Amino acid sequence: MEMGLARASSSEVVVYSEPPPPTESKSLFKPKVRTPADIVRNTRDLLRILQNGSVNKRDNDKMIELFKNLREMKTILYGNSEAEPVPEACSQLTQEFFNENTFRLLVECLPKLNLEARKDATQVVANLQRQQVQSKLIASDYLEKNMDLMDILISSYENPEMALHYGAMLRECIRHQIVAKYVLESPHMKKFFNYIQIPNFDIAADAAATFKELMTRHKSTVAEFLSNNYQWFFEEYNSKLLESSNYITRRQAVKLLGDMLLDRSNAAVMARYVSSRENLRILMNLMRESSKSIQIEAFHVFKLFAANQKKPPDIIGILVTNRNKLLRLLGDLKIDKEDEQFEADKAQVMKEIAALEPRE
Amino acid sequence: MASNIAERVQYPLDSSSYKIIDEIGAGNSAVVYKAICVPINSTPVAIKSIDFERSRPDLDDVRREAKTLSLLSHPNILKAHCSFTVDRRLWVVMPFMAGGSLQSIISHSFQNGLTEQSIAVILIDTLNALSYLHGQGHLHRDIKSGNILVDSNGLVKLADFGVSASIYESNNAVGACSSYSSSSSNSSSSLMFTDFAGTPYWMAPEVIHSHNGYSFKADIWSFGITALELAHGRPPLSHLPPSKSMMLNITKRFRFSDFDKYIYKGHSGGSNKFSKAFKDMVASCLNQDPTKRPSAEKLLKHSFFKNCKGPEFLVKNVLNGLPSVEKRYKEIKVTMGEDSKGNDDDDGDDEDSVVNVKQRRISGWNFNEDGLKLEPVFPKDQCREDHDVVKQVRFEEENEIQEEEDVASSGTVIETNLGASDVSGVVKNREATLATLSVLKGSLEQELGQVKFLMSLIGGNGEENHVAESEEISKLRMELETERKKNLQLELQLENIKLHLISSTLNTPTS
Repeated sequence: MEMGLARASSSEVVVYSEPPPPTESKSLFKPKVRTPADIVRNTRDLLRILQNGSVNKRDNDKMIELFKNLREMKTILYGNSEAEPVPEACSQLTQEFFNENTFRLLVECLPKLNLEARKDATQVVANLQRQQVQSKLIASDYLEKNMDLMDILISSYENPEMALHYGAMLRECIRHQIVAKYVLESPHMKKFFNYIQIPNFDIAADAAATFKELMTRHKSTVAEFLSNNYQWFFEEYNSKLLESSNYITRRQAVKLLGDMLLDRSNAAVMARYVSSRENLRILMNLMRESSKSIQIEAFHVFKLFAANQKKPPDIIGILVTNRNKLLRLLGDLKIDKEDEQFEADKAQVMKEIAALEPRE
Repeated sequence: MASNIAERVQYPLDSSSYKIIDEIGAGNSAVVYKAICVPINSTPVAIKSIDFERSRPDLDDVRREAKTLSLLSHPNILKAHCSFTVDRRLWVVMPFMAGGSLQSIISHSFQNGLTEQSIAVILIDTLNALSYLHGQGHLHRDIKSGNILVDSNGLVKLADFGVSASIYESNNAVGACSSYSSSSSNSSSSLMFTDFAGTPYWMAPEVIHSHNGYSFKADIWSFGITALELAHGRPPLSHLPPSKSMMLNITKRFRFSDFDKYIYKGHSGGSNKFSKAFKDMVASCLNQDPTKRPSAEKLLKHSFFKNCKGPEFLVKNVLNGLPSVEKRYKEIKVTMGEDSKGNDDDDGDDEDSVVNVKQRRISGWNFNEDGLKLEPVFPKDQCREDHDVVKQVRFEEENEIQEEEDVASSGTVIETNLGASDVSGVVKNREATLATLSVLKGSLEQELGQVKFLMSLIGGNGEENHVAESEEISKLRMELETERKKNLQLELQLENIKLHLISSTLNTPTS
């Protein structure tokens, strides 16, 4: 009771009992008990051994100890069914973890761990991204100086065995704006267009989730990225994603496109996008798909072309030429459940198209 | 070290490598096939084919399920070999479990339930899976015999993670210890979920009242219901035919004693049928208070599981002589139509009973430990039939469970009533949610109906009164409006007159 940590008699396992009263935090840890910092230090030592040489049978105990440490760190950070995490302990662990290069060691050694240890390590890394020490996200500071770690994480989408672990870590790391910016501006960005379509569904879906996070989380960073990289980005986006032969790729891409263009911070990009007749052609084709989900999502982008008050003549030309078909298509387009906003949008778009006059 | 993972066989990621043999299960948005993987020695596999177009708009859940399946590794958990898209469908390739689901087994050959020895073998493996899952921070959220599969060697595996959730990765769960500020305030919620998933019959009370949040212990409740299901051949209450009269019978004048007989017709199983250990084990799972239910790990140490037999026991006593999964599925498909007809016939005499009263109201559960039955607690039956209006509007706030007969037959197609669930790999996520929502909707509609009924009793015809009243109100409003206008006009006139008066008084001297 007098301390937050109690040591199990025979094993090395540290079990949390109750959170310590805040006033006694100085007497929190008795010297003989393994503190969170001790566990991190021990983990680091074991990872170094693992990294430096091949692990033989004699070292098996060390591996078991390493796995146990990772499990303990997870319990400290997340708590368990009996106890909530103790902020003091979380903070101590975080500080020690980023004090030295534990993160790098863990990332580099991850393939050498077994499945359970990999999962524990991933969850530890994920949690550490959100831990504050003296109201600072020290993970962000660490990553700023170690951006090359992102290269390892991103490339893992090419390795089916590691992709889901590294992918989960990556998604947590790009919560930091500075990391997201790095990834967006890195050459890796182009690879996502392929990762999203990896045949292995769970990996492709993970890459898609990361891509979506990159393109939506940090508004101003994304807006800046899109205006600086407009040309190649949307060329790739259109040809590889919106016109992909893969149904799920098209569906996710058109949904994400809507999310991006409808975001206020991307207004300039949106204006540019809806002035292109090539883009309009692609969206009109998507609206003709037999998949209702894709049709509806495509409509949410198409409406921006129609609503644009500064429509270029060629856009108007296309809309006028296809007026009857468009009006019929839109008239038939219905959502299963009632959606006033959708109906209102649709009516507005139809009105807009019906009123169009070809310009000379 | 990593070799144990690397040696896993890589299943091909294209549909042409698989040859579909037979359909072995189906749900709203998924079909399950038995197939062989041609390039890998024609190994039999089960393929769950999920229709993206019919699954919910948000694909995150599908992604989460695929990820969960890929990252779990336990002998008692059915994992996926691989998954890939085939046009608008997701194919999840899994090991083929020749015995099928226990739901299918009991509905085919053990309609009065399995022996305790068999139950123990099944449940201990299920618990091992649950204990692993919970240790991993996952909730299964849909434990039932339809999701427990057996292979030809009698090995039991828990399947279907369509509605599972992880406390480590979810927007619904509050990330534990995310920062200092969150340390204590949300302490009780950090390992909780508040959304709604599962299949109604098996749902724990706190899941139905999901605003309270629920946790691992909800799986334990469902586990307890599953134990009852295996013991009786069906989950409690599932056998009520979807007929209006039956519903009325239950809401109005059913007695608990009759209820027993009704549910388990022809299986009036005396209270001595089950061992004390089994009753005690089930009772502990079905505690109304989630915190008093044991954890999976603790349950494993229960005396019921002492001297538990191995998988070969199941092969000998349960699987032996059982038709193949495909065959059973076909049989059920054929008899499906007849079944529903038969149920309709139960309607009997109460033909004129209130139309569209679809659900019975149950205000809680009594677990009868002796008979090992879960009995519904209805709102207190103090009134005679001639007063039953009063009774109907007695709403109990706590521990209400409302179920709708239609849920069983339509919502979860391959569930109990139709008994068609051969392979549980089918996604019932959407159906389950839909079913639950329709239960809630039905219940709300019923309450509305009852309130209206009561109002009509008190104040003549409430409905018409209401209409009349609102008409009256709008009429009065219009009158008020015209009065206002008149008033305004009068005021203007008055002003005019005043002006006139002033000007005339001013003008008088000069003229």
